[in-house]
Amino acid sequence: MRILLAGLSHRTAPLELRERFAVSDPAPLLGKLVACDEIDEAFLVSTCNRVEVAVLTRAPDAARARLRQLFRRDLPEGGALPPGVELDAVLVEREDADAVRHVFRVAASLDSMVVGEPQILGQLKDAHRAAVACGACGPILSRLLQSAFATAKRVRRDTRIGERPVSVARVAVDLARQIFEDFDDKTALLVGAGEMIEAALEALRGEGLAAVHVANRTPAHAASLAVRFGAAAHALEAVPELLLRCDVVLTCIAADAPVIDLARASEAQRVRRGRPLFVIDIGVPRNVDPDVNRLDGVYLYDIDDLAGVAAANAEERRRETAQGEAIVAEEERRFAAWLSTLQAVPTIRHLRSRMESIRGRELERGLARLGLDEAQRAGVDALTRSLVNKMLHAPLTRLREEAEREEGFAYLEAARVLFGLDAPEGGEDGGAGGAHGSNESSPRDGRGGRGGAGGPGGPSA
Amino acid sequence: MGALLHQLAALLYLGAGAAAAVGLSWPSRRLLRAGTGMLAIGVVVHGSAFAVFHLEGAPPPLTDLSATVSFMAFVGVLFFLALEWRMRIGALVAGIAPVAAVSTLFAALRLPHVVREDFGAGAYWPHAHVLLASAGLSFLGVACLAGLAFLYEDRRLKAKRPARGVRLPSLEALDRVNGAALAAGFPLLTVGVLTGLMWNHAAQGRLFTGHAHETLSFLAWIVYGALVVMRFRSYQVMRQAALSAVGGFALLLVAVIGVELLT
Repeated sequence: MRILLAGLSHRTAPLELRERFAVSDPAPLLGKLVACDEIDEAFLVSTCNRVEVAVLTRAPDAARARLRQLFRRDLPEGGALPPGVELDAVLVEREDADAVRHVFRVAASLDSMVVGEPQILGQLKDAHRAAVACGACGPILSRLLQSAFATAKRVRRDTRIGERPVSVARVAVDLARQIFEDFDDKTALLVGAGEMIEAALEALRGEGLAAVHVANRTPAHAASLAVRFGAAAHALEAVPELLLRCDVVLTCIAADAPVIDLARASEAQRVRRGRPLFVIDIGVPRNVDPDVNRLDGVYLYDIDDLAGVAAANAEERRRETAQGEAIVAEEERRFAAWLSTLQAVPTIRHLRSRMESIRGRELERGLARLGLDEAQRAGVDALTRSLVNKMLHAPLTRLREEAEREEGFAYLEAARVLFGLDAPEGGEDGGAGGAHGSNESSPRDGRGGRGGAGGPGGPSA
Repeated sequence: MGALLHQLAALLYLGAGAAAAVGLSWPSRRLLRAGTGMLAIGVVVHGSAFAVFHLEGAPPPLTDLSATVSFMAFVGVLFFLALEWRMRIGALVAGIAPVAAVSTLFAALRLPHVVREDFGAGAYWPHAHVLLASAGLSFLGVACLAGLAFLYEDRRLKAKRPARGVRLPSLEALDRVNGAALAAGFPLLTVGVLTGLMWNHAAQGRLFTGHAHETLSFLAWIVYGALVVMRFRSYQVMRQAALSAVGGFALLLVAVIGVELLT
């Protein structure tokens, strides 16, 4: 039982290539994958930064080839790799612990382009739901994903990986929070009506400001934005008056002279009695005289200042990744231990079945000789059953425990050799056997199906 | 027993300060919360120390500097915790806890050797004076702490330096703490000054004796009065209010504790 993962991400493939592999509906592809004999379970995640497929298999070589075929022929737009693209150069393949660790890192946003961004977790959850809905994701990969979600939650809770904003608009809002305690009595003024102003309006929308004003050279453009975001529209000439009653000012307008100069800001602060004024100037050339920052209570940030804070925040996030990686490693060990216990299940079942088979045969033979009545037969049956159970209890418990450890495999092998589990049943006493054990899954005899945790594979798989 | 509890309170305050400082710089919100928790336990132990002194029938005279300082630390921490409950200013534990620890430790070491004074018939004036003036001083100390934090944050934001570790409260929150502490502290200081005058009158038959403590305290009270008027009539911007809180408290410290130590 092996977990394989193959995919391309922002680390190996540029956006134009990732776009060609993007999958909007993973169900047909997943259906095709699990229809192959060598693949038991599968899931696929496709975002703007990655397209990755994970599968559970008992035949890793065949599954690996199938995955490569998927990326060579099924996924690319047009059914073939774009000219000049070498699959080996962009496709990353991972197996077992490496694959598990990767899924955990992706969920925890440690592998994201912007470390700590929260969207990837939702995207993974969607991918899981889609894979379950089309019957491709069974108990093992579901458990893997659930563990990944729990890991992501833990990383987010125990580290500060997602705390500091890294986009210009969010940095501006975050800075405003360092100045103002509440936003519900604050008013914002946005000067301009371009894309940046729109992005800022979007960022401010959920902050609960008392009022938002948009002023622009062309009032019609301001009005159109104002209607969309529930703000009030004004002409550019209204800025000096608006400055007197606004607490947050964001400017991004093409202008040769500053829209807010030192004299205007100074006068505004006098009227405002020095209440804090947070000014964000993202216009190029600048819309606000830099000297305004010298005024008491005025905090002026231009686009470079915001970018500087964003870079520092990104650096702080990166510093937090070490702690996140430690959590991932811990959760990965936990998942591996759980997976190992599954490896013991077929051997345990086989051993039990073998003992039960021997007990059944010997009981039948003995009872035929003894000539007991029904009640006595039942008594002997119960006695032998109890004996077998008691004798098996300690070794089976030990096997389960040892299976969680790295050296557990040796114990499983030893059990198989000592009890002759790989020899034909009944061989030890010349009996035909097989009747009792024939429907049990051998560790090497194939799949246990998607429904049972103990089914797939065996210790030597 | 009272002195022992004082030592324990000092230790708890010290632990609170260390936890908060590490929590701020590491950064860890859990440690910051632990710091606030230790500060709260410390203030309970500190209060118990005063109660035990009274139960044992040997309360130290509040007029002794060590008892005054200990009482100021107790009231200051209590007031800070009340503000913290409303305003989420836990990061400031790193500032208040070490001051409380040093004050309480000083008291713990000196209190067992304090000799009781007999104030005669007008004994309630000295105690009323120390209780009220100390409480006022504690509140104004909290205003000073908020002012210092404000000045640091204001400077950082003006210089566009990103915040490291756990952030201090917002400028607005720090200004509110400053305003609340000033609003509560100044009336207490005023009544403290008045009761001090009454103490003089009861003990020596005149309101002023010419002691440096009286002159400087009265001067500090006038300065604070002016600051209160300026602040609450909106003649000051936040930064000036923060500077005033720091400057005013420094003057008060010299007037009350500095003079006491020098004379």
